[in-house]
Parts: sequence; structure tokens; C-alpha cells
Amino acid sequence: MSAVLGNIKLAFRHLLKSPFVTGVAIASLALGIGANAAIFSLIDQMLLKRLPVPAPAELVNFKAPGPNPGSQSCSNIGDCREVFSYPMFLDLQREQTVFTDIALHVGFGANISAQGRTMSADGLMVSGSYFPVLGIAPSLGRLIGPDDAKVKGDGRVAVLAYEYWRGALGADPAVVGKNIIVNGQSLEIIGVAPRGFQGTTLGLQPKLWVPVTLREQMNPGWTGFEKRRSYWAYLFARLKPGVTLEQASASINTQYSAIIQNVEVPLQQGMSDKTMAEFKAKQLVLAPGALGQSSARGEVTTPLAMLFGITLLVLLIACANISNLLLARGAARSGEMAVRLALGGSRRQLVSQLLTESLLLGVLGGLAGLGVAILTLKGISAILPQQATSTFVPHLDMTVIGFTAALAILTAVLFGLFPALHATRPDLISSIREQGGQPSGGRAAARWRTALATAQIGLALALLASAGLFTRSLANISRLDLGVKVDSVITFGVSPELNGYAPGRSHLFFQRLEDDLAATPGVASVSAAMVGLIAGNNWGNDVGVEGFPKGPDVDDNSRFNMVGPGYFATVGIPVLAGREFTRYDAIGTPKVAVVNQAFAKKFKLGANPVGKRMDQGNDSLDIEIIGLVQDAKYSDVKDEIPPLFFTPYMQDSMVGALSYYVKTTGDPKAMLPVVSRVVSGLDENLPVEQLRTMPEQIRDNVFLDRFVTLFATTFALLATLLAAIGLYGVLAYTVAQRTREIGVRMALGAGPAQVRSMVLVQVGKMILVGGAIGLVAAVVIGRVAQSLLFQMEGSNPSVLAISALVLGLVALGAGLAPAIRASRLDPVRALRYE
Amino acid sequence: MTSTSQPLIRLEGIQKVFYTDEVETHALSEVHLEVQRGEYVAIAGPSGCGKTTLLSLLGLLDTPTGGEYWLDGKPVAQLSPAERARIRNLEIGFIFQAFNLIGDLTVYENVELPLTYRGMAPAERKQRVMSALEKVGMSHRVKHYPAQLSGGQQQRVAVARAVAGEPLILLADEPTGNLDSTNGEAVMHLLQELHRGGATICMVTHDSRYERHADRAIHLFDGRMVGDRALELVPA
Repeated sequence: MSAVLGNIKLAFRHLLKSPFVTGVAIASLALGIGANAAIFSLIDQMLLKRLPVPAPAELVNFKAPGPNPGSQSCSNIGDCREVFSYPMFLDLQREQTVFTDIALHVGFGANISAQGRTMSADGLMVSGSYFPVLGIAPSLGRLIGPDDAKVKGDGRVAVLAYEYWRGALGADPAVVGKNIIVNGQSLEIIGVAPRGFQGTTLGLQPKLWVPVTLREQMNPGWTGFEKRRSYWAYLFARLKPGVTLEQASASINTQYSAIIQNVEVPLQQGMSDKTMAEFKAKQLVLAPGALGQSSARGEVTTPLAMLFGITLLVLLIACANISNLLLARGAARSGEMAVRLALGGSRRQLVSQLLTESLLLGVLGGLAGLGVAILTLKGISAILPQQATSTFVPHLDMTVIGFTAALAILTAVLFGLFPALHATRPDLISSIREQGGQPSGGRAAARWRTALATAQIGLALALLASAGLFTRSLANISRLDLGVKVDSVITFGVSPELNGYAPGRSHLFFQRLEDDLAATPGVASVSAAMVGLIAGNNWGNDVGVEGFPKGPDVDDNSRFNMVGPGYFATVGIPVLAGREFTRYDAIGTPKVAVVNQAFAKKFKLGANPVGKRMDQGNDSLDIEIIGLVQDAKYSDVKDEIPPLFFTPYMQDSMVGALSYYVKTTGDPKAMLPVVSRVVSGLDENLPVEQLRTMPEQIRDNVFLDRFVTLFATTFALLATLLAAIGLYGVLAYTVAQRTREIGVRMALGAGPAQVRSMVLVQVGKMILVGGAIGLVAAVVIGRVAQSLLFQMEGSNPSVLAISALVLGLVALGAGLAPAIRASRLDPVRALRYE
Repeated sequence: MTSTSQPLIRLEGIQKVFYTDEVETHALSEVHLEVQRGEYVAIAGPSGCGKTTLLSLLGLLDTPTGGEYWLDGKPVAQLSPAERARIRNLEIGFIFQAFNLIGDLTVYENVELPLTYRGMAPAERKQRVMSALEKVGMSHRVKHYPAQLSGGQQQRVAVARAVAGEPLILLADEPTGNLDSTNGEAVMHLLQELHRGGATICMVTHDSRYERHADRAIHLFDGRMVGDRALELVPA
């Protein structure tokens, strides 16, 4: 123990002896470790964190890949292979024998009124088996159970999320038994979920849970309980004790196949033989559910893995710098080491002493790294889109602190081991004697130093290239013609139906809101749409189009939207033929539609489809196409523009929620509070949802691209800086080591230019070798990142060339100072240099 | 254009002052010296008398604080570093006490090194290197590294490196200082052979046994020339 304390004391003394060098080493480590800790925190929160429930490993998620004929409704809980019909859920729940039970959950938009305040939030509709399958206990009251969700329309109860109960209701224990208004329905609060439990879906943090049997009340106009061709329910289950995933899969598939064959196959009509064969062969796939069920996880896995790889490379570069620094220190202390060895110190003792210094550096770097991590996480949090801020908490929990500690120790061993072994090599005493008492750098150390600096160049080039790829990709995105002009447009949503408005009242509200907004000073025009523009939402429908043949396996699906009068003028989509909707296109007038160019092309409507007829899948051709608009982005900036038709929302009596578009004459940001006030003036209890400018909405739509580019570029610049420092350090040290040799060369006639070029040739060789390694690594990274790149290849030659050129110039810049210093050496002094 | 009527080296009133921490050290004062073509001059004197400083000035490794220096009739006292390097490479060959071979280069590459600075064609370089190594009896060690040679062998390679470029003058700084007496004698005989072949040599030594190999000895004391006398040739 005293030896350890002695080593620590000595280590402190040595580190304090050269505070600048120690400071640079700690700063390098802090940046490297901090960046890793921050990205690991993201990974932990988004990809690794298990559900806070007992035995989460027993949970399994259900998927059913293959045809889902009929309507599908998917959300951020999972993709469209993971949704089931309600009858299928009931069948499986009844027939299964391998699970404790099967649970159902589906999200919904909830307007919650409590204590005189109304807010728009996420809610979750769940089966009575949901909480029992999870096995959690309430913080207060009780949770939803099987008796609450037995009959359609029954179970008028709600369970509150702990955070909502504490934040919005002041943690009032008396809330149990009181009523809360959810989407206009009065529900009894029966309990509060346990603290820290926020559902099972990343990115969906419900404020409350209600029985799924209330779906028709929560989503007015929805009817789908009895429909086997309506897929919307997400399922998960808990394995019975002793049952493996494979056994459960075999067992549940027996029942699933029987239901498919005996019940669902006879219901299918108009299916081709091929699709029918696929439908009959459908299998249930069980996936581990310990992390919950979320489509967001799949979307962020590659970017996060990529960023983690990048930060690890940055840390490796920092380690290489410190390793080189320690090698130089070791050379300077070889006399001391030789004396210690001569006095009988064992190599193990000396190595442990030197490793203690490395560990101390690592610990100090790790501690400083925690600060860097917090700052980085706060930075990430600041640029997150509004809707993602609840998913991610910028804090360091024990897992991240533990990871940081492990990384600091591993890093210390990584950068400290070779220098420690080299500084205590067995031939040290004899080599020093041969050198007349002066330390010898040693060829091995020189090779190690050069190899490290070369590797740094390679890694930095790979990172620069990856940053270049992401930057170019983002530039490709920003150059896209979205087909809309929305620089001065504000958007927001209102859902009067969720506040209990009947459809007719909703329509009146919408018209009054449009009138009031249009009359507001600073507003140029106003319109609305059911599907938000470039907001990540998709609505699709099978259509019939005049002259377009129908048949099995014929793709007759189109995206659609319901929009208000003046929509195209407000969002800047040019009308190419015909006209756009007016207030006269309302209920009771002939049904009309406007289509985009992609729709006209897909359904072979020619250059001017105005006057042609179509329908929404009921074979009636009851809608007249009255306009053709230019193609414009629909759901996502990066998606291809889909075939799309628009109908006037005023011809649909059931519309209860709309997204609004307000074109302003001045700065749209300044109008945001004005818009809020106008809505409040009509109904102060109606929440304004997602109020922001359209440029903000578009930026949020490509947030992941901006995030990856920003961080890849930051880390690449950091890596380049570290590599340049490392290269400079190696060359400066090499020049110092070669002073006498340089003196000899000068004596033999080498001029300043030749000495400079001698050093720069060394840099050039390192650039060539490191560059080759870096280019190969860059191509590999490019391949991994391909899915994140937009309209470009991961091995884009110009990006690789520019990255190589930039790094080459930086490396030459780093080498220039030592080269100039070498060329200015006084040969007389250099020849005397020992 | 080389003139045969003028001395190869001519120093007039050469001074060298070192300034350190407000202290002036006069390493050389008022040195006047002429060395003729083909002469073998020994520069002798006690430690700190300025021998090596004088050799550094002669070899254009350093510049004098005052005075004039003509090498082969051309003033060279105040040239740019690049110009001095060019002259060192073409006109001067150095032999050091510590051999100063470059450890990472083979014997062949060490000898070749000054020729590469001239931009000489590889074929001519090879011929010159092999000829120089044969002269010193080291042509069988071309692929060896300095660490694989004895001290005497290393100094012979250093001599080969100095003569490979066929310089106007060889400057040797205590060439036997790091050698035992046998190897020291061998190196001195080598220099004598080169001298007989026409080489002009200036050698710094403090060993009177080796001073006698030269045909002229200059004595320095406290930076001043205090003696300049002809010596009798030691039989080979």
C-alpha cells in the first residue's frame, strides 16, 4: 500500500514538474474522453437502457412481416410490420400458452384538461394486460387491469405518468378518484405510474395511460375494433418462466398460422396468387423486448454508432499524442531509470511507477472529460428539435460515469504501456554507458513515434473525409428544391376534436380561425391542411383514376392530403393548370381534387388532367380533378416526391384537427405570439401544437443530418488539430534527436533548403503512408455511412481528394516549423550536441 | 577558375568573439595564415586555445567576427548560409574526432551523402564512392552500418567520405582522438598517403606524435597564433 502511495506521490511530482505539458495532455484526454462520454450517454439513453421493469429480458415484441392487406397505421412505436389488428390480438391472447400474457399498446394525441389548464400531449392506449405484463407497481392508487379494458367503450379510467402528476398536478395525492378531461372525455384518475416509468417506447413519453377500449372516444371517427384488415395495435408479451424465445416462437406460430389460414385467408379479396401465398406463409417473429419497442431506435443506431466510432478515433489520436509525449519524457528520464535499475529496482516496480503516472493522467483527463461531456450534452440538447427534447436528458448517470472511468483507465494503459516498457528496457544501463551517459531514443521508440504520428495522419484523414461526406450530403439536402416557398410562413396545429368539439363545431372553429388570422395585421394569407407539410407524416389511400386499369398487385396507392382554400398560394406551390380550392368547395358541392405532377404521371393522366375523374378506392369516380400543381415535398425533405392528391377539407365533415399555415408580411418569428393569442381568443382551452416557423420545421425534418454533420465536422477538426500537434511534437523531437546528424550533414555541404527538405521528406513519407491508410479507412467509413448520405456515394472522389489535400497541407504546416528550425541550426553547435 | 599562383587559404586578421550573458570570449584574435596547395598543416595547442574554432572557420561552419578569409582566391568570410554550404560541399572535406557517421546509413550511403547534395548522377557517385572506399581499404564493408564497425574502421569510412568529393582541402579535427594508438597510427598513415597524393590537409591535434606527420605546424595559445614552423617529414 505504501508503495502505491509512494508511486502516486512521485507521479504527482513528475506531472507538476512540467505543468504545461501535463496540462496539454490532460486537455487532449479531456476532449477525447469527454466526447466519448457524451456520445455514450446518448447511446445509453437511446440504445442500451433497459426498461425499468422486473426481469425485462423476459419481454418479447411481436412482428409479422409480409402482406398486411387493408389499412395500416404505424407510428414511432414500430414500423408497419409490427402492427396487428385488434381481433388478431384477442385471438392470440386467448390461444397462447407460452406467455404470462400478451399486451397491446398504441399512442394517441391527448388534449388533457386538469386544474383549469389544457395541454396537448402524448397518451397511450393499452390493454388490460399491459401493466400486469410489465409487472410494475403504481406510485399511487392502482394501474389499469384486465377488468378496465374488457368491453369497447368501457373503462373510463386513466393512469397518470409520475412526472406529469408531479409537474402539472403538484404531486397531489388526492388526485386519485378525481376526474380528468382527456380529448373531451371525463375519466377517473385511478393511479399514478411508478417514478421513472415512461412507457416502453423511445421518443414517446405518455402523460397518461387509458384503456384501449376507449379508442373510439379518444380518436373520434375511428372505427377499427372489429376489422381484421385494420392493422394498428402494437403487441408485446412476457415469457413464462423457463420458456425460451425459440420455444415461444414455435408455439405462438402454431396458433398464429391457424388463425391466418382458417380465419383471415377467407376474408381476402382481389389478391394475386403470389401475394396470397406470401400472406398464407406469414409468421410471427418474436424479438427481444428488454429495451421496449421503438422505431426511433433503428433510425438512430447507425448515426450514433458512427459518431461513437468517430469519437473513439479522436481519443485514439489523443492517446497517440500522449504516448509520444511519454516516450520523449522516458528518454529524458532514462538516466534516472538506469540508476533505479542499477540500484536493484525490478522492472515491474519501475513499470508500475510509470503506469501510475499514466493512470493519474488518465484519471485527471477523465475528470476533466466529465465536464466536457456535460457541456457537449448541453450543446446537443440545445440543438435538438422541440419534440425530441423529452426523449433525451443531458445528464451523466452512474452508467456513463462508470463508462468514463473505465475509458480513462483503459486509455491510460493504452498510451502508457509501451513508453513504460521502453523506458525500463533491460538493456538500458548498457545502452546509456555506450552513449557516454546520454539517453538514447532507441530505434524502436523512434519507429513507434513515427508509426503513431503516421497513424494519426491516417485517422485524421478518415475523419476529415467522413466530415466532408456528411457536409456534402447536407449541402445536397440544402440545395434541394422543395417546391414550396415558406420562408415567411408560420405553422401550428389545433385539434378541437380532442377538446370534445363535434365535427360541425370544429368546422366552424376552423373557419373563424382562418378569418381571424387573415384579419390580423402582418398576415398575408392563411390556409390549413390535415397532413402537416414536411412534418414526417404520411397518409395514403388506394385510388381509382379514370382510364387507369385496376387489378391484383397493381399499385394504385397515392399519398393524399386535405387542405383549405388558398393552400397552394400560401405555401407557394404553383398551380400549373385549373384552379385551387375556394370556400365554395364545401360539403354539398361536387367533390373535387387537385393532383400533383407525379400523380398525373403515375396514373397516366397526360399533361393536363383537369376535368378527369377519380375516386378514393370505392370505384365510383365521384371526384373531379380541377387542378394540377407542381411537385413539392410532402412528408420528408429527403424523400422522393410521391404521387399526391388533395381534396378540400371543407368537403369532409369529420375533420377535427388541422395544421395551419400563416404567411406573414414581416419577420415570421415576431408573429408567433400573435398567432397564439388569436387561437386563445377563440378558445383559451385549446392547445396550440407545434407552433414554429416553416424554416424551423424543415430544419427539424433533417435534424439527424445536421446533427451528424455538425458533430462529425467538430470531431474531425479536433482530430486534425490533435494530429497536427502530434506530428509537430514528433518532428520537433526528431529534429532535436538528430541535431548532431544535421550538423554532420551541414558540414558535408547540406544547405538550409536540403536540411528543410530532409525534414519535410520525412513528413511527406508519413503523409503518404498515413494518407493511404486514411483513404482506405475513409472508404470503409463511407460505406458504413452510406445510408446516412443523400444523393452521393460514400467513396466520393472529390471529397476524398479535398480531405487528403487539406490534411496534407495541415501536416506540412505542422512539419514546417521543425524543418525551418533544423535548417537554422548552427552547425558548430550541432556538431557538439550530445 | 582555379589559380595556382595564390595560396589556397588566406586569413587576414581573423577574429572570433563569442558573446554569452554579457561576457565576451575572444576565441581567436588577429590570426593571419596562408596555406598553400598540397600543404599538410597541423594546428596544435592546449585545450581551449581556439584550434577547433579556427578549423570551424576554415571549414565555413562558422563565420569570423572580424578579418578576411579567401579560399582559393575568393572571399568567403561573409557568405550566406546556403553559399557556405555549397562551398563546404564542393571544396571542403571534414574528418571529425567522433567520426560522425550517420547511424541509419550504410557505409556506402555515408560516403555517398555529400555527393548526393551536389546532385551528382548515380553512376558517377558510385564510381567515386567505391574509389574512395578502396583508397581507405573499406570497399568490402559497403553494406555495413557504422555500429557494425570498429572505431578505426569508422574513421577510415569518415576519411573516405571526406575525400570522395575530391575537395580542395581536408579538415581533420583530432582524427585520432577517439582511437587507440594502433588505429590512430593507421589513420595518420592514411592521411599521409592522401597528402602524398596531392591533398591539402589541415589537422587539429594536441598530440605531438601526430603533429610530426604534417609538414608544417601552427601553434595557438589563447586564440593567437604563437608559432608557425616547418616540420620534417616522418617516413611512411
